[in-house]
Amino acid sequence: MIDQQQTSPSNGEPMIICRQINKWFGEFHVLRDVSVEVAPQEVVVVIGPSGSGKSTFIRCINRLEEHQEGTIIVDGIELGNDLRNIAAIRREIGMVFQQFNLFPHKTVLENITLAPMKVRHTSRDKAEAKAKELLARVGIPEQADKYPGQLSGGQQQRVAIARALAMEPKIMLFDEPTSALDPEMIKEVLDVMKELARSGMTMLVVTHEMSFAREVADRILFFDQGRIVEQGTPQYFFEEAQHPRTKLFLSQIL
Amino acid sequence: MATISDSRSGGLARSVVNYDEPPVKSPPLLAVGPLAWVRRNLFHSWFDTILTLVSAVVIISVLSSFVAWAIGQANWAVVTFNMRLLMLGRFPVDAEWRVALLTAIGAFAVGMSLAVWLRVSRTIVLIVTLSLAFIFISASLITAYVPQSPSYVAAGNNEIVYSASNETPQAQLGFIAKAGETVSVRMADQYAANDPSLSGVYGFSDKAAALLANAAANRLDTAARIESFKAQLSSDLLTTGQRARLNTQLAKLEVPPAITETYTLNQTPIKIRILRGTTLEALATGTLTTGAPAIKVTLPADGWYVLEKIPADSEAKGAALLEVGGISPILERSFTVSGDLDAGGNITATSRVSQYIRVTDNFTTQEIRPAPDDKNVPMAILIDNAYRGNHTFPDFLRLFVAPFFDVIKVPLLIILIATVIGYISADLIDRFAPPSQKKQRTSRRVVTWLLIAFPVIMFGLVYGVGNVLPLTDTRRWGGLLLTIMLTVVAIIASFPLGVALALGRRSDLPVISVASTIYIEIIRGVPLITVLFMAQLLLPLVNPSLAEMPNVFRAMIAITLFNAAYLAENVRGGLQAIPYGQQEAAKALGLNSWQITMNITLPQALRVIFPALVGMVISLFKDTSLVTIVGLLDLTGTAQNIVTQTEFLGLRRETLLFITLLYFGISYVIAGVSRRIETSGAGATLLARKI
Repeated sequence: MIDQQQTSPSNGEPMIICRQINKWFGEFHVLRDVSVEVAPQEVVVVIGPSGSGKSTFIRCINRLEEHQEGTIIVDGIELGNDLRNIAAIRREIGMVFQQFNLFPHKTVLENITLAPMKVRHTSRDKAEAKAKELLARVGIPEQADKYPGQLSGGQQQRVAIARALAMEPKIMLFDEPTSALDPEMIKEVLDVMKELARSGMTMLVVTHEMSFAREVADRILFFDQGRIVEQGTPQYFFEEAQHPRTKLFLSQIL
Repeated sequence: MATISDSRSGGLARSVVNYDEPPVKSPPLLAVGPLAWVRRNLFHSWFDTILTLVSAVVIISVLSSFVAWAIGQANWAVVTFNMRLLMLGRFPVDAEWRVALLTAIGAFAVGMSLAVWLRVSRTIVLIVTLSLAFIFISASLITAYVPQSPSYVAAGNNEIVYSASNETPQAQLGFIAKAGETVSVRMADQYAANDPSLSGVYGFSDKAAALLANAAANRLDTAARIESFKAQLSSDLLTTGQRARLNTQLAKLEVPPAITETYTLNQTPIKIRILRGTTLEALATGTLTTGAPAIKVTLPADGWYVLEKIPADSEAKGAALLEVGGISPILERSFTVSGDLDAGGNITATSRVSQYIRVTDNFTTQEIRPAPDDKNVPMAILIDNAYRGNHTFPDFLRLFVAPFFDVIKVPLLIILIATVIGYISADLIDRFAPPSQKKQRTSRRVVTWLLIAFPVIMFGLVYGVGNVLPLTDTRRWGGLLLTIMLTVVAIIASFPLGVALALGRRSDLPVISVASTIYIEIIRGVPLITVLFMAQLLLPLVNPSLAEMPNVFRAMIAITLFNAAYLAENVRGGLQAIPYGQQEAAKALGLNSWQITMNITLPQALRVIFPALVGMVISLFKDTSLVTIVGLLDLTGTAQNIVTQTEFLGLRRETLLFITLLYFGISYVIAGVSRRIETSGAGATLLARKI
């Protein structure tokens, strides 16, 4: 069932390297000297109060936002202004959004097959076979011919995950994937994400789901005011966090 | 079902469990059904009731006077007679088959689209079939069973004088008829007894007969006015001044002697001969006197005949009013045949042909008008033989309804058959062709291509294609054909231009964005008429070779350029309505910006603005009527032109009403189809979510 091909850099280098990233929105300093390395197959959960820059951070990794200082290297490719590099990196990274962002004028199947056919020039038959396989993997094989508007929020988010996986990415970015969902639908999406993590996908997840972080994460980054305040294993983070800001945050949500 | 509610009344929280199950009852009688609807919507309060009643009175009075006019007074022959002009303008007769073919292809495409997308319900099929059957059957039933009211012509030596007009009855009257028809002539004794009956003549009457009847009516009217003045004078309520004025008026009025007596109506025997137009051989002869039986003759062939009616005693003074069955007014139409442009752009040899058309049933002959004594015989032309009085309902049916149905029934049948064939062939295609790679129905692809190709087919058929089909003279395009050509060409051509302008205005490149913005704002700041004039007058200054471009094409270019600016703004609005997340998601998947526009944002934007686009099509369809101003005869221009012809003077209302119905009908169909599209397919969920 799990067939995600993991080709980590041969020399054991990290999948994502961020060095001293700085970013401003106008005068506002959103990211301040953020440096992170993510190893292949590692699941990194990013948490933090709203406005702390955690979404901006992961959106910088596939260039939905442009960082102004620092270096980002994904799978050995440096992210700069070179359009070919951006395109190459985007092919390696799948992304799932808070608002799903499915294409409402296309069926579920078309949503999933669009990018492989247009970007990777996969044949329609292959793309559709792959799409059906992915739909089965996220647990909704019967919804292939429906339009996104006909699905529940949880189903839509699972389609969004399948759509991202269809490009066979090496890295998956999740930007608060369960925040827009009704409580009873959160679990079905988290289950898919857990399965994905177990299959060895490199994942960067911005979320408020602490149970997910505790169960799945290899490492937790805590963001506040544009910088990484504290990071560590879930056990460390939830039990032994040192920084007062982290402690305050945890005391408010737990 | 038990409900548990947490009641906090009185500050005490307690749980309540309700195990009762109230029975399900049917609603009160006045809460559902049509009666309830009427009560709720029309008579809800006393104010509603007053509004309802007032509107009802207004609507009924307007409608009833309209119906009375439409049946009694309107002359719809102008529409029936000019149907071809209104539809095709002066499009060459020998190229008419192209338009017929085009219509059939269009109907075929409509039929296929119905099968593929809309699935016609059985009720609609039934309604359409029955309406067409009704048109066919009623046209022939009316012709067969509603007798045509007779025409009235005067005969005699007396000059008939009334007011400023005078007219001596004509000795001969030329008319056209079909083989096998019967013509009968007798004295119109029912009108000749006295003036009240004479004033009641209704039906087609020649000038002299109309003068007789009008004179009688005027005499009765004068008598009535004198009576009313006398009645006023006999009362005591008038001031001296009023009394004096009335007396002066009264002194001017004088009741002439009875008209029937002045002209010794129907006292003079009239010699009748009915002649074959070509040979002038007499088919029937006889002398008519009061009470004599009608002289009848069955006509041997199609063509011209002459009714000769002269007093038996050439010295006798007097007049007779004859009732003639089987003669109807004629219209003369002369036109050019073979006026196409040849390869060098010159008009090929032309010849003018005169046609004579019977107003009542469009029976047409090209036989040459008889000319005994080398003088063209006076013919029963419509202007001189107008209908006197209000039409009776049977006359309305016979004179207007049946001929109108006769004109439209065959084209409608062709359209229906082509539609049905299209509908059936869509199913056949699916049955015999394997599904395509996209797993769509094959018919869907076929009809999509057909619809895309249709404008090209249309242009090719109407204009001509290089060496295959000879080019037609664009100056002869007209009527509804021109209106549709202008609309379709402008829409199709302005679409890519408008989308390009919209994308250009949103572009990150300042040059493109500024250029697009300037273009859009300039065009939107100028009225369409100005743009049309500019295309006519200024384009030749830009490049002299443009002066040779046909007027029609210049109008098409002008409308296209104009429409593109508005379309661009609509598209831009649609693009702005698409959430930015759509682009982000597409970017994250690795699509480039061109792919994002073509696959993600533009299709959604077009879906969002679809209702606005249809509104544009409809308003463009109507706005094309402005081309009249630059000398093109589209539907409106043709209608304007028709009512300036002598035969149809004063028939503006009928003509304009007809084109109004035509414009409305077509716009309504477009709007209806768009509503069906909006509520179906992929866009439906999108639109529903947006709203």
